[in-house]
Amino acid sequence: MKLIRSVIQGLMLVIVAAVTLEATGLIQYYFTQKGIRKEATQRAESRLEVAKLKILDIVDQTEVAVHNSVWLAQWALSVPDSLWAVSRRMVQDNPVIVGSTIALVPGYDRKRPLFSPYCFQAPGESSIRVSSLATEEYDYPSQEWFTKPLELGEGYWSEPYVDEGGGEILMTTYSVPLKAPDGRFVAVLTADISLDWLNDLVISARTYPNAVCTLVSRSGKNMVGDTGTLPKDEKNHVFSTTVDKTGWAISVIIPDKEIFGGIRQVGFLVALLQVLGIAMIIVILFSAAKDQKKFKELNERKERMENELRIARAIQMSMIPKIFPPFPERKDLDMSATIVPAKEVGGDLYDFYIRDEKLIFCIGDVSGKGIPASLVMAVTRSLFRTVSAHEDNPAAIVRIMNNSMAEVNESNMFVTFFIGILDLASGHLRYCNAGHNAPLILTDAKHYLPVESNLPLGVLAGFEFKEQEAVMAYDDAIFLYTDGLTEAENATHELFGEDRMDAVLSTRRSSDAHMEAIKKAVAEFVGEAPQSDDLTMLFIHYLNGSLNQQKERHLVLHNSVDQISQLADFLQEIADEKGLDASTAMNINLALEEAVTNVIMYAYPEGTDGLVDLEAILRDDSLVFILKDNGTPFDPTAAPEADVTLSAEERNIGGLGIFLVRKIMDTVHYVRSDGQNVLSMTKNI
Amino acid sequence: MEININKQENVTTVKLVGRLDTPASVEVSKELEPVAADAAGTIILDCKDLTYISSSGLRIFLTLRKAATAQGGTVIVKSINQDIRNVFMMTGFLNLFRIEE
Repeated sequence: MKLIRSVIQGLMLVIVAAVTLEATGLIQYYFTQKGIRKEATQRAESRLEVAKLKILDIVDQTEVAVHNSVWLAQWALSVPDSLWAVSRRMVQDNPVIVGSTIALVPGYDRKRPLFSPYCFQAPGESSIRVSSLATEEYDYPSQEWFTKPLELGEGYWSEPYVDEGGGEILMTTYSVPLKAPDGRFVAVLTADISLDWLNDLVISARTYPNAVCTLVSRSGKNMVGDTGTLPKDEKNHVFSTTVDKTGWAISVIIPDKEIFGGIRQVGFLVALLQVLGIAMIIVILFSAAKDQKKFKELNERKERMENELRIARAIQMSMIPKIFPPFPERKDLDMSATIVPAKEVGGDLYDFYIRDEKLIFCIGDVSGKGIPASLVMAVTRSLFRTVSAHEDNPAAIVRIMNNSMAEVNESNMFVTFFIGILDLASGHLRYCNAGHNAPLILTDAKHYLPVESNLPLGVLAGFEFKEQEAVMAYDDAIFLYTDGLTEAENATHELFGEDRMDAVLSTRRSSDAHMEAIKKAVAEFVGEAPQSDDLTMLFIHYLNGSLNQQKERHLVLHNSVDQISQLADFLQEIADEKGLDASTAMNINLALEEAVTNVIMYAYPEGTDGLVDLEAILRDDSLVFILKDNGTPFDPTAAPEADVTLSAEERNIGGLGIFLVRKIMDTVHYVRSDGQNVLSMTKNI
Repeated sequence: MEININKQENVTTVKLVGRLDTPASVEVSKELEPVAADAAGTIILDCKDLTYISSSGLRIFLTLRKAATAQGGTVIVKSINQDIRNVFMMTGFLNLFRIEE
């Protein structure tokens, strides 16, 4: 459906484009044609006007010359022979005039019935020839040039004619009537002008090569210009003007295709180009539609992946503690941590939790970035939690983690890792480093925690990691970080470095403030440069909190039942110290007795001597009992709970002891640590 | 820990005084062996002066009850204090015994 819709959309687009393009073409064509027509008209008209003006110029010159001679000719009429000189002078004085005569009305001169002295300039000759027009054959009184002016009583331009006597040239004659002193018209003065220039002039009005220029006389005779015929049945454009005095009409006839042939050709080419253009649009649209489909799919896939990455990030972030302060009830710890992945998901991790009055914490950096690293991070974090839940020896934890990671490390990814176990009661820190950078200890004198580098996790199965230990005094802090901090790069590839980190950490402040200060310093240093690596930091400030109120009691028993009686006195002291009521004291006594009995009865093989170590930590609001033995590994918390709802017949004799411990104590936790069974029990008071 | 066993006809009264902890239970267990062996009648466990009981003590109670039931006898737990009543409650023993004031 979507495809069909997009095809329809594409077709619509093509149609709209085609219509627009064609309309534009047509409008353009229309206006161009209009412009060309206008241009053609203007050109033709201006040429015609020029020709007309030139003709009029000569006509005027002729007329002026003739009229100027009228008085002389009229004066000379009384002496007809002097008329020779008048006509000669006409020709001589006016270059335009090639011939001139003064023809007398027959009978005016008594001596000669006809008299018409004619002077003319023969073509190619410099001298003026004379002749008489009063011949029988010519019969001038019947000629138009003679009759018309007399008839009209004014100047008259003859129809052009071919002069047969004077060299076959086209001529026209202007003739004016001459009056006798009594006012009668008695003679005609003429001036012949050659029209050989007229042809060129008319031809010069030809604005298109195939245009036809003609000059038509008053009577409709085609005088000069093109004699060729115009193609018939074709559209022609006719432009013409009339020379007033002579009555000539000059015309330019331009075939339609002469004017518009060019634009039609261009129009055709344009239309062809448009068709090609539309064809290209269609091709582009169809390939675009295909691409768009691909693009859409790609986009959807990208979105899906981004969404999954967001989920992955949320899952990853949910694995690590990120609510700060993490232990608001504790006054001995001020902690803060942050993890800023360079990509959506990262390969850094930190984690921590408190168990049995010990803060167990870690930081790690998986080689590589992105999803593969994040998966390894998740595995590392799970292993950390699982293994450290029942193991107090950091080297043992790291060893177990390393072995399980190295065994199945097909992608050859490794993790630099640091684990610390801080005994919150004593400040005793046990730690093990697996190729991670040394944490910084912030005391009065800042220093790096001395670390064995060992090997990162996942590199070599069976590697023996060395444990180290240190003591943290109250108010000491430990700052753990990944190399994303010291190796944060700015735009010029400078590294943030230890010095800058030291500078920020030199000021004493809360863990939160430290975290913010470092983040700010890094952000300022890095500027616009993209984050190159995951950045993770963990800050632990060990404080003298409620623990200064704490007291400890210690009881060591042998693995003999009669030793159990000592518990009552041990507990009585604690009860007195803490002001516990008898019932609570009795209950605690009962739980401890059950736990200790369990050890005495089952931890050591029969007949062997063994010790049971019971430590009590007295706090304001709780009592913590830590029971240790060197016996065979045994986790009493793993035993199934006694079912107290069973009838007497169904009940087993045993199984009640650990049930009571659980019932009475608020938390019970077992670890195997350094070859010892360690059972921690807390009772809130 | 003191234990007084007093048998009148088919009613055996066992008076427990003090703490019935694990070491005491070892002794009490021995003392009560004859009572368990002859449990067809009524056995009264007088707990008026019993101040403490551990799971070993509870185990003795249960053993005795099982023996009595097997022989058609009855075990009555008498006058337990509040703390021990709580332990009985926690462990479900309150439902296993006839408790009397």
